Amino acid sequence: MIQYAAILLMMIGLYGLLTNRNVVKIVISLNVLEIGLNIFIISIGFVYNGIAPIITSTNNSSALLFVDPLPQALVLTAIVIGVGTTALGLAIVKNIFSKYKTLEIDEMEEN
Amino acid sequence: MSAVLLIAIPLLAAFLSILSKKIAPVLLLLVGLANIVLIFFVPSGIVVIGGFDLPYGINLFFDTYAMVSLLVVNGLFFIVTLLNVIEYKKMSSILLVALAGLNGLLLTGDLFNLFVFLEIAGIAAYLITTTNKKPLSTFNYLVMGALGSIFYLFGLMVLYGMFGTLNLMDMIHAIQTSSVAYTSLILPFFFMFIGLGVEAKLLPFNAWAKGILKHSNTLSGPMIASIYAATISFVFGRLITNLFQFEGKLLLVVTLLLIVGVVIGEAMAFASTKAREILLYSSISQACITILLFVNGIIIWAVYLVIANALSKLVLYLVVNKAAKEIKNDEVDSLRGLFAQNMLVGLAFTVAALSVMGLPLFVGFVIKLNYLTHLALGGQLLIVGLILVSSVVEGIYFVKLLFKLWFNKGEEKINVKFNISYKLVFAIITLAIVVFGVYTKPLGEFDNGIDAVQDQIEVIYNG
Repeated sequence: MIQYAAILLMMIGLYGLLTNRNVVKIVISLNVLEIGLNIFIISIGFVYNGIAPIITSTNNSSALLFVDPLPQALVLTAIVIGVGTTALGLAIVKNIFSKYKTLEIDEMEEN
Repeated sequence: MSAVLLIAIPLLAAFLSILSKKIAPVLLLLVGLANIVLIFFVPSGIVVIGGFDLPYGINLFFDTYAMVSLLVVNGLFFIVTLLNVIEYKKMSSILLVALAGLNGLLLTGDLFNLFVFLEIAGIAAYLITTTNKKPLSTFNYLVMGALGSIFYLFGLMVLYGMFGTLNLMDMIHAIQTSSVAYTSLILPFFFMFIGLGVEAKLLPFNAWAKGILKHSNTLSGPMIASIYAATISFVFGRLITNLFQFEGKLLLVVTLLLIVGVVIGEAMAFASTKAREILLYSSISQACITILLFVNGIIIWAVYLVIANALSKLVLYLVVNKAAKEIKNDEVDSLRGLFAQNMLVGLAFTVAALSVMGLPLFVGFVIKLNYLTHLALGGQLLIVGLILVSSVVEGIYFVKLLFKLWFNKGEEKINVKFNISYKLVFAIITLAIVVFGVYTKPLGEFDNGIDAVQDQIEVIYNG
């Protein structure tokens, strides 16, 4: 079920990317798309009734039902990369605004 | 010497270069040169990182395919940085990160790690294109690149959900030994294809390329059109040959996309009046042909085509960008008679253009003849016909371009100064294109076995 929600979020992000003509809104749409993907990745490792994959004094048997920890590690990396891309995107947006004095793509001329 | 050093040294140097802006350009050149030398001392095989054996940890894979691609990419990278290091010394740290990312892409044996290197190389590429001073084009490139990476990761995660591994070889083995129908793999493979297709400038995912390459300079033009394009083509080749192995309806869709890319690329180049636009659309068409060859299993000639294109496009973009920068215009009519004062540069440009067209005496002809023969033997006569027709179109616009650049109608002569380092690079590349066009024996020394992933899988899983 959570995967449908993630894909819906991705579709909303994609819709935003395709329809928005404002560069800040495009960056936000890209982030919505990334969050949808991150939730999708987390959902891959989800195990119903599973516990956190940490061996403790009480949870010390490999027979216990653990959730898959790998997608969580992958999402951490994906989030860091996403933040980097967003930061760079916003820096470029600042450059765009300095040059064109607008954030609307239709009002810019770059031949 | 471990293959890890090819990634670690540029990355370490990138951090060190931030500490001192003065040593950054020197560090860039030293690391570039050291990497080229290092490639010859790296032993073949899998490099396990952190003691985690395959498939649990990230691993690198170094075979002849990786060695050839690393030599081409690092060699061209060194040439481009050497020519631009004074003018763009502020970009030194970013170029070092780019080198680490590109080497990582060519070496990694882990599909998630491939995504990470794709992003590292991508972020460096966006920063390199800021030198064009066209922030909207850079923004478009960033959005398209990020979207491509997201599609790639989505496809990969679907595959992870199905097979429970991220390791390239383990994934290939799991797919080969599983009973999963190919139709279930269409979705993830297609998403991954789209993701890489954005960086490879494949139609229709290349909307960013026009803005970037139309305004490119002597750094961003060769870097994106030659070095990044070659790297992504090599990565694409590795994945198509071993992982995707397109078949059925997916093969049909991919082939159609690529054929349309070849035809539209050449048609757009034919219709263009600006020199950089002509080269950009020609690059798109050539990228589609390269991927088409990988899809049809003609690996070795696809590899040679990538190398020949990287060399030719480096010369073409350097000449046009240098001239466009000095004249402040890249309309072909404004560049009339460019070579009247620059015979050697004109000769290099002509040889590179004729090689891309596939005329005899140049390496492009040998490659084109061989891959067309292989395609014909494989029964792909329609593709052969379309490539031949596109070659005629390519021939027309390149000959028109060459005539205009060589001859003017008694108008004011334009004088663009190319310094000795440019001329030396042009001379070496021209010589290579002509020598391998005439003396073809070395090209026969490699075959499709250049890619050893399947052999390695046999060794790991079947002893």
